[in-house]
Amino acid sequence: MMRLPTRPAIWPPLLILLALAATFVFWSSGFDFDYVIPKRLARLAAIVTGGVCVAFSSILFQTIAGNRILTPAVMGYEAVYLLLQALLILAMGTQALVVVSQINNFFLSIAFMLAYSWAIHRWLLRDRKNNVYFLLLLGLVLSMVIGTFTQFVQLRISPGEFSILQGYSYTSFNRAQPMQLLYSGLLVAAACVWAWKTLPVLDVLSLGRDQATSLGVSYRRYVQFYLSLIALLVAVSTSLLGPTAFMGIFVANITYALAGSVRHRITLPLGCAIAIAIFLLAQLLVEHVFNYKTTVSILVNLVCGAYFLALMVRKQGRA
Amino acid sequence: MLFVLLCCASLLVGARQLSWAQLLSGSSEAWLTLTASRLPRLAALVLTGVGLSVCGVILQQIVRNKFVEPATSGGLDAAKLGILISLTLMPGVGAVGKMLFALTFCFAASVLYVSIIRRIQFKNTVLVPVVGLMYGSVLSAIAEFYAYRNNILQNMQGWLLGDFSRIVQGNYEIIYLILPIVALTYLYAQRFSVLGMGEGMATSLGLNYGATAALGLMLVAVTVSATVITVGAIPFVGLVVPNLVAMHYGENLRRTLPIVALCGATLLLACDIAGRLLIYPFEVPIGLTAGGAGGLLFLALLIWKNK
Repeated sequence: MMRLPTRPAIWPPLLILLALAATFVFWSSGFDFDYVIPKRLARLAAIVTGGVCVAFSSILFQTIAGNRILTPAVMGYEAVYLLLQALLILAMGTQALVVVSQINNFFLSIAFMLAYSWAIHRWLLRDRKNNVYFLLLLGLVLSMVIGTFTQFVQLRISPGEFSILQGYSYTSFNRAQPMQLLYSGLLVAAACVWAWKTLPVLDVLSLGRDQATSLGVSYRRYVQFYLSLIALLVAVSTSLLGPTAFMGIFVANITYALAGSVRHRITLPLGCAIAIAIFLLAQLLVEHVFNYKTTVSILVNLVCGAYFLALMVRKQGRA
Repeated sequence: MLFVLLCCASLLVGARQLSWAQLLSGSSEAWLTLTASRLPRLAALVLTGVGLSVCGVILQQIVRNKFVEPATSGGLDAAKLGILISLTLMPGVGAVGKMLFALTFCFAASVLYVSIIRRIQFKNTVLVPVVGLMYGSVLSAIAEFYAYRNNILQNMQGWLLGDFSRIVQGNYEIIYLILPIVALTYLYAQRFSVLGMGEGMATSLGLNYGATAALGLMLVAVTVSATVITVGAIPFVGLVVPNLVAMHYGENLRRTLPIVALCGATLLLACDIAGRLLIYPFEVPIGLTAGGAGGLLFLALLIWKNK
């Protein structure tokens, strides 16, 4: 299975990506450099940052969890984020947006999600003997339960606050403010550089706990490190784009199929490229084919959900 | 022991409601209007609880998996999709017409689901509900896609959630369809038990497997579409109740079916009263209270069973 990779071919995906991005920015824009193109560039930046977040967090999470079906999104990370936002607004009203600056909010959510990911890891992922599908079911039901709590909180707040909260729960590339984009971009870049530096460790971790330990990797320390990285990335992507649900699974599995290798040096960049390409395609479809009569989150849910279903049915058929 | 306890609980719940009604009637002398809205509500609650939990039992027998119910087999989402399409295609059609649409969709979706599950022959019991949940989310993505194009997304989110506060005399009677369904289920209880033994066994015992399974799915579809139209979607009731009952009373359907029905009604009553008291002058929709409580119970059940 592990075909030794020669120098990975980075040009084809990169070219496709550039072509897609160019189409996205320039298609029927009338080359209006004052308004249309800057707006689109901002969206492009959001898409790139979000895509990198989704790809990195999913692939890292799958490496740590040791399977290819779980992602942070299905394990309830995004639901926790939305619950936290709802609680913040409930506690402080719309002033929450003023009092708690976006940056503080951001760090608060990261802390909250770190706690959640630590709990998840402590209880669920501790031993790999646990059945994957059991964990998956647990994650799905957990997300639903957290979702009902969020809805309950939504009942308690005023309609104005509700509409703010409602905006959080859809995938969209338009909500990001330039400053927020800048901060998120920097954070994500830092996280990626960090992850990149420890690439060999990641490859070793994917062998499992015992192997990793006997190869001299401090398993616990690195797992905690990566879990915090994942919490950060998911916080960024959810605050930037909203929940992406099954997108992560879709991206990660297509990446494994295309890469033909499990080395993170290849899978991580390729995954980013695929995630960005999918987001771009969905946004292009929404803008030019469906004329805004649908949303990115609906499209992504439809396609990725169907793919996920097919993936599980086929996998089980083979096993 | 548990049965007696639950009976007491259900009596208490009933008593509380009664006393509440009397108190209100004493002060405002609106006895008649109160019973006209409170009694229908009680009836709808009990019927929905009974119907949903019996549904869960039937589905679990057909699929031979303990974690299946309308919410984890795509049935609920299909019923929603059906109502949505009837709303856009024939806006003027009444509750019965909507019901027929929901029924058709729910039945078709359930048949498809059961055939997928049977084709693949999963060895893993947990995978079956996972596939069902995914199937449901794809169906609801289709519904959302459709609703967004027709600008009725907000309307859809309104009746997506189970809510008993809309129940007043005159718009809930369709729920009484659950009564004959439950009677039929009880009549066929033995056959459904045999169904749960698998196709080979069932056929060799002289049961027409396909017909009985189709009958079961039809009963489920009728119940689900009736509840979705009058009350809205209430997840997890059909899953938690049969499992809890089976833990204490075993699997003899003819004996346990009444207990299941009673427990389902009790659970919904408790959830409804909690929802009415939680933010007192207002109400929490039962979709939330039952969904939250049922979901937590489901999680506990999952972890307990996996240990």
